[in-house]
Amino acid sequence: MSRPDRRSLPLVAILSALVVLAVVWVGVKFQRPSAPEAPEAQAGASPPAAAEGRTVSHAQGTTVVPLNPRRVIAFDLVALDILQALEVDVLGVAGDQFPEHLARYRDAKYLRMGTLFEPDYEAIHAARPDLIITGGRSSAKYANLSRLAPTVDLPMSGKDYLATVVANTELLAGIFGKEAKAQALVAELRQSIATLKETTAGRGRGLVVLVTGGRMSAYGPGSRFGVIHDDFGIPVAAEGLNPSLHGEVIGSEFIREKNPDWLFVIDRDAAMGQPGGGGARQVLDNELVHQTSAWQKGQVVYLDPGTSYLAGGGIQAVRHMRDQVASAYARAGSSGTPTP
Amino acid sequence: MTRPLIAAVVLAVLAGVSLLIGASHVSWDAVFSPGPDDRAVQVLVISRVPRMFAIMLAGTSLGVAGLLMQMIARNRFVEPTTAGTAESASLGLLAATLLAPGLPVLGKMLVATLFALGGTALFLLVLRRLPLRSALLVPVVGLVLGSIIDSATTFFAYRYDLLQSVNAWTTGDFSTVLRGRYELLWVTLGLTCVAYVAADRFTVAGMGETFTTNLGLNYPRIIALGLVIVALVTAMVVVTVGMIPFLGLIVPNLVTRLMGDNARRSIPWVAVTGAGFVLLCDIIGRVVRHPYEIPGGTIAGVIGSVLFLYLLLRRGARVG
Repeated sequence: MSRPDRRSLPLVAILSALVVLAVVWVGVKFQRPSAPEAPEAQAGASPPAAAEGRTVSHAQGTTVVPLNPRRVIAFDLVALDILQALEVDVLGVAGDQFPEHLARYRDAKYLRMGTLFEPDYEAIHAARPDLIITGGRSSAKYANLSRLAPTVDLPMSGKDYLATVVANTELLAGIFGKEAKAQALVAELRQSIATLKETTAGRGRGLVVLVTGGRMSAYGPGSRFGVIHDDFGIPVAAEGLNPSLHGEVIGSEFIREKNPDWLFVIDRDAAMGQPGGGGARQVLDNELVHQTSAWQKGQVVYLDPGTSYLAGGGIQAVRHMRDQVASAYARAGSSGTPTP
Repeated sequence: MTRPLIAAVVLAVLAGVSLLIGASHVSWDAVFSPGPDDRAVQVLVISRVPRMFAIMLAGTSLGVAGLLMQMIARNRFVEPTTAGTAESASLGLLAATLLAPGLPVLGKMLVATLFALGGTALFLLVLRRLPLRSALLVPVVGLVLGSIIDSATTFFAYRYDLLQSVNAWTTGDFSTVLRGRYELLWVTLGLTCVAYVAADRFTVAGMGETFTTNLGLNYPRIIALGLVIVALVTAMVVVTVGMIPFLGLIVPNLVTRLMGDNARRSIPWVAVTGAGFVLLCDIIGRVVRHPYEIPGGTIAGVIGSVLFLYLLLRRGARVG
């Protein structure tokens, strides 16, 4: 058994070498007809870009972006959210999970460019984009994507949440010449958040809880949901929460102990489109949480998971969140519940 | 007869510590002399006592399940997480979540059990086809099979953005155990008792098919009983609290090193040691980042993998 094997080894090696050579040859041969086309396409697009480019500095360096880019690929829901608000249309999007306010991107007319975590580089190359926008989950792919086309990375950190939203909006507005529109949007958002801040002060402390797969984690100021405390001005019920990406694992005992007046719940499974899996209500509906003043006053706010989790940081998403919180506070105030 | 006494004292101490540790402060004083509000008693009744029972039930049943698997597969390094059983159960749970999201917990558990049964049977079939069964090869085959099943789970979880949820199921975590949310685990106590009643048969089956048949016992039936117990226990634990890795491996190994291979003698010890081990892991997980938690399954994974390596690498592992 072993002897013929050993004798055939050189043969196998030679054969596989031949196969590799053949594949390479075929590859080169079929590359050739398309090769002249590629520079031609670039020749059409690149001279104006080089001549009238605009240097944009962003989270991962500076990029020369052509003026008024038309073929835009957004790898980030935050960017998509802002672009939609600025009335800029895109060519391609990533993934197939879109929150309700971005539902139109589910349409097949928007090219699919892979997922947030795994870009489809061939499809992107074929789409010949003028501009790629990464951010959040796709930031890690910036280096690869920036080799295909000018790429801009939008940071989203929990620190200075509102300031980041404004900066991202202004950055994109600058690229597309929508400064006036951006100014109006930002002014309106700032105004509405300032109004909310006046209502939230002195109305009790809040806790942000994310539920996924039946488990809970808590988030505090400076985290990805820090906008609730930092910008909406809701006092913190649990001090010292580490602003890590996945929050801190907690149980119902923790919620009861901290006894928040407001409980803000993000149902992650619902955000991912799991109607049955979205059991946040089920998880929280227990004897320990029932003892918190948030539950007793009916101040458990289920934030829209799409806007808070998927597109959190987009200018429209923040506005949605603000509106949700504001209407919860208005409802609690009008129902005449005695606030001790 | 001092050993049972020592074991009982250690277990009682661990259980007591488990009752007193948590996000909210509970002291013995508050429990025995309830003040104006009986908050301490409430926390005990609603959260701490159920959690303690859930931990002990999971530890006991997974330990015994590991012992049964080691006798069925006739290898010391086999347990639900090194033979594809746990991976199959979580694939089943994923399938149930994707295909029938509205299914009640019992339905999901049934699907997970069927998958666990199938995965374990597949493992035994692969083992039968192996020409050479070294002590180390068997767990490697199990780990490979488990990883293949796991990759299918990961693929579908990735496609449907459920990776985080799958991760939540597969790490044993007792933070959400409350009164009314863990009672299913009591069934595993029944299964452990069944294993104890049939202990002598498993001891004999552990000596091989020919030997068992020569004694006039129905070998396939014993194996089937063992498999059903293992699959049910695994599925129940995965569905209610998540998987605790390596537990079914190190606990039976430590016990049988001291007590020998007689299942009748070792099952009670495996049960007690398993409960104590998980109690310890969960206590560590609750103390390290108090008042937040590290899942007990993660702690068990860290301690368990170190012990697993020790058991694999120590001299004599190759022959036994």
